[in-house]
Amino acid sequence: MNAPVQTAEAREIALAGMGASRLRKEDARFIQGKGNYVDDIKMPGMLHMDIVRSPIAHGRIVKINKEAALAIPGVHAVLTADDLKPLKLHWMPTLAGDVAAVLADEKVHFQMQEVAIVIADDRYIAADAVEAVEVEYEELPVVMDPYAALLPDAPVIRDDLAGKTEGAHGKRDHHNHIFTWDAGDKSAADAAFANAEVTVSQHMYYPRVHPCPLETCGCVASFDPIKGDLTTFITSQAPHVVRTVVSMLSGIPESKVRIVSPDIGGGFGNKVGIYPGYVCAIVSSIVLGRPVKWVEDRIENISSTAFARDYHMDGELAATADGKITGLRVNVVADHGAFDACADPTKFPAGMFHIVSGSYDIPAAHASVKGVYTNKSPGGVAYRCSFRVTEAVYLIERMVDVLAQKLGMDKAEIRAKNFVKKEQFPYTSAFGFEFDSGDYHTALDKVLEAVDYKGLRAEQAAKRADPNSPTLMGIGLVTFTEVVGAGPSKMCDILGVGMFDSCEIRIHPTGSAIARMGTITQGQGHQTTYAQIIATELGIPSEVIQVEEGDTSTAPYGLGTYGSRSTPVAGAAIALAARKIHAKARKIAAHMLEVNENDLDWEVDRFKVKGDDSKFKTMTEVAWQAYHQPPAGLEPGLEAVHYYDPPNFTFPFGIYLCVVDIDRATGETKIRRFYALDDCGTRINPMIIEGQIHGGLTEGFAVAMGQQMPYDAQGNLLGNTLMDYFLPTFVETPHWETDHTVTPSPHHPLGAKGVAESPHVGSIPTFTSAVVDAFSHLGVTHLDMPHNAFRTWKALREHGASL
Amino acid sequence: MEVKLDKQYPLDVDSARAWALLTDLKAVASCMPGAEITEQLSETSYKGAVKVKVGPAVAQFGGTVDVIEAVASERKMVLRGKGADKGGSSASMDLTAVITADPANPAHCVLNGQAAVIVNGKFAQFGGRMMVQVSDMLLAQFVENFRQTALTLPTAGGTVEGSAIQADAAPLSASGSTPAAAPVVAREINGLAIFWALVKGWFSGLFGKKA
Repeated sequence: MNAPVQTAEAREIALAGMGASRLRKEDARFIQGKGNYVDDIKMPGMLHMDIVRSPIAHGRIVKINKEAALAIPGVHAVLTADDLKPLKLHWMPTLAGDVAAVLADEKVHFQMQEVAIVIADDRYIAADAVEAVEVEYEELPVVMDPYAALLPDAPVIRDDLAGKTEGAHGKRDHHNHIFTWDAGDKSAADAAFANAEVTVSQHMYYPRVHPCPLETCGCVASFDPIKGDLTTFITSQAPHVVRTVVSMLSGIPESKVRIVSPDIGGGFGNKVGIYPGYVCAIVSSIVLGRPVKWVEDRIENISSTAFARDYHMDGELAATADGKITGLRVNVVADHGAFDACADPTKFPAGMFHIVSGSYDIPAAHASVKGVYTNKSPGGVAYRCSFRVTEAVYLIERMVDVLAQKLGMDKAEIRAKNFVKKEQFPYTSAFGFEFDSGDYHTALDKVLEAVDYKGLRAEQAAKRADPNSPTLMGIGLVTFTEVVGAGPSKMCDILGVGMFDSCEIRIHPTGSAIARMGTITQGQGHQTTYAQIIATELGIPSEVIQVEEGDTSTAPYGLGTYGSRSTPVAGAAIALAARKIHAKARKIAAHMLEVNENDLDWEVDRFKVKGDDSKFKTMTEVAWQAYHQPPAGLEPGLEAVHYYDPPNFTFPFGIYLCVVDIDRATGETKIRRFYALDDCGTRINPMIIEGQIHGGLTEGFAVAMGQQMPYDAQGNLLGNTLMDYFLPTFVETPHWETDHTVTPSPHHPLGAKGVAESPHVGSIPTFTSAVVDAFSHLGVTHLDMPHNAFRTWKALREHGASL
Repeated sequence: MEVKLDKQYPLDVDSARAWALLTDLKAVASCMPGAEITEQLSETSYKGAVKVKVGPAVAQFGGTVDVIEAVASERKMVLRGKGADKGGSSASMDLTAVITADPANPAHCVLNGQAAVIVNGKFAQFGGRMMVQVSDMLLAQFVENFRQTALTLPTAGGTVEGSAIQADAAPLSASGSTPAAAPVVAREINGLAIFWALVKGWFSGLFGKKA
């Protein structure tokens, strides 16, 4: 069975393993419209659910009249909170230790809150019946501003929490207060400020935005009343966690609950949580004994499922007169909406916000985040970032710019001066993170040289000297560090389940393989990249390695895909599962070649006898032997499972530079150049990495330049359609230039750190840095996002820079 | 969302007749496209309905209108309207309307209106960005209907002040004097017409600027 003799290099290329820009296996079905999304699933006897939602932001429900809706032919049921009460399902726990109403119980807390559901023969009848459900409200005063929410006489948003002075994260000192979370050393930070030669402070608002994946959320729940088991196809980034929660809420044993995440059209954090729609569809299926489908529309998706950000931040830096940062203080008021439904590891109500010291060696730092209830939709998920890292990176990068401006220093120079140096790694930050590896200076120099930074500054100076210049030129620079790969279970859990991940690999007798994972791809290309890891580890061509995820009945338990954790956590699980197989294969090969294990060398796809290239056994041959005649004392078969609990997070970093030209007459901002250098450690598939970076930069561009959820004072969301909510197409999207350095993670089996979120996290402050830079000679230190033409035009007028 | 309006409409109607009409809430309501008073609850309180049609979407607002203040000497009327429709929209309006005389022409007057309109629910979400334009359109239609109705009222025999006092003394009796030959008024708000008017307005603004 030996293949014709080929060089090791040729055989390695044939594997298409790690480092190969292998084409995505997923695309063949997606570009032909053959994907299988939740809304593609049709089951015999399936009914359809639609949701009656609150038109107002705050009010008591006086009366719900179902009669007219029930009278419509084809309507099977109309359910309200009162119907769910006997099942104790009218409220549900959130991932953040709060509770959220499944259907509004006596009052509504935000516009578009779920009030009642309708089950009907088809989607159209359901929608008609929703219109026919009459709900009478008594309006209550609305609180949209988190600062106003904390005033002594502010209206009470959560009547259900009356008298509760203790929340999931400590004391509540006001009826609209959720938690106050502190990190770092306050007295050390205060001392740094007391002794500082220079201090700067800046208030900034990171607007409420929505991840807005192309596919909205939905599910098909199917309870079999004969067998007593429940199958639910669902748009979830964490199907195994959903199974555990469904079992806990419904009382159905976890072994009889099957959750399947089929193809998912983008998640970006929006599909981490458990939504009332899922719960209602499952309850309806159990009650009616028939499959029930619920798929929300775009307006429902933006209005009611999890938002991101909404952080009101105050940053302060203390420094020496020559620009060495000595202290950092941060205060945040976080608007969590009506229920605290943040998707964070349990112990971290502000996620990994304490990465806020950035890439800089800051000796003393303190951060405090106060979570507040308002009459807005719940959420607070990581929109293409790792748990509030985007907010943290935004704050520190803005603050370093503000300090540079105050000192009259160049923003590249001040960064280089404060970077954690290469030789300081592993570096423990003032907030206690242990940064695994990095080389910021090399990366910064590479970018500055690539864009001719000095030349750009000279051009900018010339433009500023010309009063008739039609544009203002700005240069943005960001040098960020992310914390991803949550996470070590000693620190990180979701509802008590440690944030490990898992992989099961089976090598078939003829040498092909299947791998099943606890993660779930939503566009990341897991089926492609995971196979490449196994290909390199085991010498099997990636083409014959099948990767399956998302079905809890077949896949090993895992915490899912978000927070750039797939490669740092699941990628490591793959490598270690493969290495278990490799170890067994070596025993078998030694037996076949009649030598000692230690006399074997591994080369690409085969075990060779040391010193004799003609004596070898390929992995394919070993696989056959494993099923045919394993050595005495070894069990047959060739498979392994590994659950990987990471020893630490990983810390990818990047250096981003952006040049903008702002039209002084219209306020329109043209992105002239965007240069993104990323270091994600070992690179598994460079083509997919580049695609991920393009996607992340585009979403970062969307957030910085246009996305926001605009609420009016009465609590109406005025931008919940794609007419208003900015999703850039190729028309608006600028050209991206990408680059990389490679600094492997020392604690990860592959040295890989994760990449998909870096471009989002890093690019957003880069755009702001560039836009503010265009105004900096006018004394402007900060402009809040979004930097759309109208807001920028107003800034031009305000600072006398308009034409 | 809240929209504040402050409008002045010169009318070719004398102040007395304009005031007489303004104090007749039923007649005034019928000047508003799609609106009507369905029931009088008390001396100063009415039940009403407004039907709005924008394309295929029809909203039927039911609610109340209260006369907060009616000062004949200033020809000032303060109203508060509140309503909601079953489909999930609600609206409220505080309106102050004042009739002032045209010093140059006693046969003419000016209708001054200040309104704060708050709209909630679907109308605010989906119609928010057109609120000001649509309100302008509605008011323009209302004022035209108001003018035509006022012109059909009999001219007062006495002085301007005299008729105003009379109207104030018996504000509701004025409805009895509304002539049978009511003018043709638009009976509902027509979305297509509003859209067309908006487009026309936009174009004329465009060319007006260039001219």
